[in-house]
Amino acid sequence: MKKKSYEKRKELYGYGFVSLWIIGTVIFFLIPLVKSLIYSVSDVTIGEKSLATSFTGIENYYNALFSDRKYSSVLWSTLKETIWKTPLILIFSLFIAVLLNNKFRGRTFFRAVFFLPVIIASGPVYSIISGDMADTGNMNAEQFSTLFSNNLLGELLQFLGIYGITENMNTYITLITDNIFSIVWSSGIQIIIFLAALQNIPVSAKEAAVIEGATSWDYFWKITFPYVSPFILANFIFTFIDAFTNPTNAVMKRIFEIRNDLNFGLSAAMSWIYFGVVLAVIGVITFISRKWIYYGNEEA
Amino acid sequence: MTDDLKKYRRKTQATDFLIRFFRTLILIGLSFVILYPIIYMISCSFRERSDMNDPTVMWIPRNFTLDIIKETIEAMNFGETLYNTLVLNIGCCIVQVMSCAVTGYGFARFKFRGKKLMLGILIFMILVPVQVISLPLYTQFRYFGIKGVFSVNLIDTFACMYLPALLGNGIRSGLIILIFMQFFKGLPKELEDAACLDGCSPFGAFIRVMLPNSISFIITAFLFSIVFYWNDSYVSSTFFTNNQTIGLMLKNLDSHLSMMLFNDASVQISPREQIVWMQAGCLISIAPLLILYCYLQKYFTESIVNSGIVS
Repeated sequence: MKKKSYEKRKELYGYGFVSLWIIGTVIFFLIPLVKSLIYSVSDVTIGEKSLATSFTGIENYYNALFSDRKYSSVLWSTLKETIWKTPLILIFSLFIAVLLNNKFRGRTFFRAVFFLPVIIASGPVYSIISGDMADTGNMNAEQFSTLFSNNLLGELLQFLGIYGITENMNTYITLITDNIFSIVWSSGIQIIIFLAALQNIPVSAKEAAVIEGATSWDYFWKITFPYVSPFILANFIFTFIDAFTNPTNAVMKRIFEIRNDLNFGLSAAMSWIYFGVVLAVIGVITFISRKWIYYGNEEA
Repeated sequence: MTDDLKKYRRKTQATDFLIRFFRTLILIGLSFVILYPIIYMISCSFRERSDMNDPTVMWIPRNFTLDIIKETIEAMNFGETLYNTLVLNIGCCIVQVMSCAVTGYGFARFKFRGKKLMLGILIFMILVPVQVISLPLYTQFRYFGIKGVFSVNLIDTFACMYLPALLGNGIRSGLIILIFMQFFKGLPKELEDAACLDGCSPFGAFIRVMLPNSISFIITAFLFSIVFYWNDSYVSSTFFTNNQTIGLMLKNLDSHLSMMLFNDASVQISPREQIVWMQAGCLISIAPLLILYCYLQKYFTESIVNSGIVS
């Protein structure tokens, strides 16, 4: 009897701790969310005291997808760009995390440098340094990236007497080198998460690998990779969301344009479509990757 | 036998050296990619604008000057902007970290009905970008209150930044709550059990035992929160029409500069030369963050990596 009342009391305390958040979430998240859903299926006009809505069904969604040419093309190109860029960011940040996980002189310095983008990259500073000034013809990030994209590999292969392969390959390589700036600058948090994951690999696994005579290569694929795999998924979701919510991305810009024309219903519908697409991609990736993810310590 | 051993040693030494060499090379190269804009900013802010047209000037300016920085500070009205930012953003950060810590603790240590649903909402909060709900949120603040009973206009007051932060719904609060939850889950339960046996209420145990044990983690969360608020221009531009914060100022730096500096028709300044002011503006607005980062860097890097956020 007494135990039950203790549990009850504890439950009450639990509510007490999260009550602030519950109130906040209802006022500042759930109500606006529902409202925006309502806007998206209605015709919104600015009334006397608040916005007046009249139900129109899926008209806004239809307009967003089929009438607004710019929206659908921008949506498609942004999605494509995010999809090819995300794996690159993941591979890059895992690579850097593995490097930074070793002990060597100057590690603290390099860690500090690689986390620096976390502080700057999300802000307006990034849009200034990453080439908003391209039209001024000055040296900027974009030009900086193309420094790397000379056809070095092609020349090397030609030097070795191999012709023809590089044209295809070259397009991929220039794709990467042209974007090295944005890739490096958007992988700060991912590096942090991977580093934390690497630190969590139990010492026993390391010792076993050393005793069995595993090379670093084996070690990476047999030990590191399985332990890190859940965080690859987490990082994927994070990267995707980050690219998606970035106010500088083209779809968001289009949505703001529509909103500034006071077409609130259409802009709400557009953001819901966008959100739905992103959720769908995340859902599919999560479903596919479920097979390959290794959860070492279930209880943790 | 010894020959084999020697050979083996030599081989491992060679590979070790190679690994170290390439590691340093890659790290230095990529660090340059990251530091490049910052070095460029510093280089630009201390040069005269004529240096922009001098092809021999790459990094080290020919004519050192502080004028550009002074002019930019004036154009940005930096003193007032910084004050606004401190009052709004830093204040919000403190409030946000406190409310998120309390909520995260509640989720980590207590079982109650509806917790699963709430966690689902929490995840949803992280996924939904603020842009989706910003318009209804605006009307929410414009006519704040109970429908038909009373309503207050909160737009342009500090309340529309502080209220969400206090109620655990500030900028990216979901993420911070989740991180706190994972962190508190990782702390040993015995800590509060001992406090409870000594007659502490759970809330007392939280304040007296848990918080002192997580100072370094709280500093990390605080730093994250500062970064989110400092770099935000979207939320504050939605709710404020005339309060300038640094994020907002930076976003419109271009127009501010041209209004303050280039309005004089007698002076012709090419867009190429205007970069000097842009870069100076960037530099002085991230300078406070950079200085803070230099001081708190140790907490930031080490405590995140070692705290087991992950898991």
